[in-house]
Amino acid sequence: MAAEHIIKSYDDELARLSNIIVEMGGLAESQLKAAVEAVATRDSVLAARVVSDDDKVDRLERDLDNLAVRLLALRQPMARDLREIVAALKIASDLERMCDYAANVAKRSIPLSQLPPIPPVHALPRMAQLALLLIGDVIAAYAARDADKAIAVWTRDEELDEMYSSLFREVLTYMMEEPRNIGVYTHLLFMAKNIERIGDHATNIAENLYYLVHGTPLDEARPKRDNSSLEVVPPGLARDAR
Amino acid sequence: MTRPDIDPARQMAAPRAKIETRNLGFFYGTFQALRDISLPLYDRRVTAFIGPSGCGKSTLLRTLNRIYELYPGQRASGEVLLDGENILAPGLDLNLLRAKIGMVFQKPTPFPMSVYDNIAFGIRLYQRLPKSELDGRVEQALRRAALWDEVKGKLRAGGLGLSGGQQQRLCIARAIAVEPEVLLLDEPASALDPISTQRIEELIAELKVDYCIAMVTHNMQQAARSSDYTAFLYLGELIEFDETEHIFTHPKERRTEDYITGRFG
Repeated sequence: MAAEHIIKSYDDELARLSNIIVEMGGLAESQLKAAVEAVATRDSVLAARVVSDDDKVDRLERDLDNLAVRLLALRQPMARDLREIVAALKIASDLERMCDYAANVAKRSIPLSQLPPIPPVHALPRMAQLALLLIGDVIAAYAARDADKAIAVWTRDEELDEMYSSLFREVLTYMMEEPRNIGVYTHLLFMAKNIERIGDHATNIAENLYYLVHGTPLDEARPKRDNSSLEVVPPGLARDAR
Repeated sequence: MTRPDIDPARQMAAPRAKIETRNLGFFYGTFQALRDISLPLYDRRVTAFIGPSGCGKSTLLRTLNRIYELYPGQRASGEVLLDGENILAPGLDLNLLRAKIGMVFQKPTPFPMSVYDNIAFGIRLYQRLPKSELDGRVEQALRRAALWDEVKGKLRAGGLGLSGGQQQRLCIARAIAVEPEVLLLDEPASALDPISTQRIEELIAELKVDYCIAMVTHNMQQAARSSDYTAFLYLGELIEFDETEHIFTHPKERRTEDYITGRFG
């Protein structure tokens, strides 16, 4: 980190901003972890707790917004300090979204746990594991203001996209085989999509961290491997299912 | 700052260096206050000089119209080119130089005479005009300095009776009355309240349509708001010169960053 400010309280406020981000990152991890555990153990009590704990991160985001606005108004930040604050605002909103997705995974696990288990649900913990790794890494990168580490997260999200794509195809096949269970599979797809979106927000954070450190945007196109938006049910398969 | 009566293409055109310093050095006796300063001051642009006290920014401004020559033992080395001509060369007519390069100081310095005469004084030095034409020039200068509406009823009253902010605009009106090409402003708003400061900044934005302006300021926000280019000086050296937007968002030099973010020890 850069040298200290002449005005000490300015440093304290910037450090507080940074601590809130790290705390929010920790919450995003623990919420996703608990949500997926609720899915795996079919524990609707745990799932309900994840849903109600979402308030915590919303409160932290509000605290951060207030502090950031205060800093902008009272300190008139320049250069790196300004980027610190702008990046914190954006990163906080990404983390808040991540927690929303985790809460949604938990919410959907409640109806899922009332129904007979379906095999592809085992893909969720694997996806979540990778998503947790991305969150952990990007928050560690933020804490160290390490732009190289941020780029590593940014590239690794590709794997998560691929996992989602292959789960999408798998679930599509199950849906055609068991049209009666299409509701359950739809929940599963949304849950997987939520985890995939968490990865995208991790890459947003990586981009903002890069901008914070270098003052220029990370503007190369990121590799995208989630092709599910292009998938259709193959006509042959659709006929077979009938 | 866009003005409807000015061709926008003229404002947007690539800047041309009105003044260029080349390897400029400056000495107070044996003490070297400036070292090897080479930078352009673009026409119709505002350039801010920033840096901690004693860095040489006011000294740099003072070399641009050779006002330092009023004091013994002070001398400059290198070159200051005004439209390509070295103004440090001996034999140059200083009165003509200062008619081309006007200066406004930190503390308002109205002459102990009427508002009208404060403006007319400078014009009379260079030109002999009939009364009606002189009146027109005084009004025009006061209008351009955004002071006319406040003083038009008391042109014969003493200039020292105006408020601080009005006195400073009177000094700017006096500087532009002789139709200079360059304006040097040495902390023009540092002794003024926020409203007067904003009036001066607005005025700078209007005047830059016609002039090359160089301004020394201690106020980072003011430099960021009012200038197009910024030069950061430290210990008599030019550390960084760039577009103001670059200097205040991601400067190249660590020392610049430390200074503008308030980390300077």
